[in-house]
Amino acid sequence: MKLDRRICLAVLLVCAVTSSVLAGEARGESNREKGSSILGQVTNSAYLKECGACHFAFQPQLLPKRSWEKVMGTLDNHFGDSATLDEATRSRILEYLVKNSADMSSSKVSGKILATIGKTETPLRITDTQYFKRKHREVRADVFKRKSIGTPSNCSGCHVSADKGDFDEHKVKIPKN
Amino acid sequence: MKVTSVITAVCLGALMTPALGIAAGLNAEMTKYVQGLETQAKKESGFKGFNAERGKKLFFEVLPNAKSGTISCATCHTSDLKKSGKTLVGKAIEPLAPSANKKRLTDVKETEKWLARNFKQVYGREGTAREKGDVLTFIAAQ
Repeated sequence: MKLDRRICLAVLLVCAVTSSVLAGEARGESNREKGSSILGQVTNSAYLKECGACHFAFQPQLLPKRSWEKVMGTLDNHFGDSATLDEATRSRILEYLVKNSADMSSSKVSGKILATIGKTETPLRITDTQYFKRKHREVRADVFKRKSIGTPSNCSGCHVSADKGDFDEHKVKIPKN
Repeated sequence: MKVTSVITAVCLGALMTPALGIAAGLNAEMTKYVQGLETQAKKESGFKGFNAERGKKLFFEVLPNAKSGTISCATCHTSDLKKSGKTLVGKAIEPLAPSANKKRLTDVKETEKWLARNFKQVYGREGTAREKGDVLTFIAAQ
């Protein structure tokens, strides 16, 4: 009897752990970083290849779901450039972005970003959010224009571990030129 | 006698294959793609085959651009195709020249995608079959 009860408890425990892990995966990568200022590393191969070929592959946790939907719905005019994709690739990337968007994330940064975006606003650029502006208010415009940075959207120009999802300001190295 | 005629046949065969395929050592898939462009280009009057010089001109032609003032292919790919370039938003681009980057011009889907995107970015429209073939001939020779 005693042994049976122990087996029952063990089975229940395994089930509980498995289901919480599975639920975590279904919600997206961001939940592993709960409460942390470090966002996860981007792992989606299509996103890294197609979007990351031209610009930094921004962590999906940095914008709300509606923003990603709008960005991925207007690729024929992507900030003035054509970034069209075949439909299969486009929907695969959109699915990844939505699943890991700020709305789905429990990371501290996502929460702060969402808090600065009005309910009726749909920012298309991370650099347009009040959160980004506040965090970079000490950076002069001409610093962003330095040759090795070029633009505020080049995260890894200064955030040397940005590709790992680490935007810790203590690790920032601003290049001299 | 027999050997000589085989050699002659091989040489003739090589001469008849489009020059680009040989010069660039393009794979079968890419050779077929370029041949397809050639078939389309032949519909234009006066087409006498793809031309690297015309491709070079297309590559270096500077056009007005809303974001960067002016733009050409070389803006991002640099004027030395054997070197790495950089997108307007700071991301590194591996060399375009097949002699410096073995992955270039090996995948039709990739080649088509970038030709379409980049013609739109620089010229504001898709390239014609002749223009695409000319640019590819120029790049392949680098």
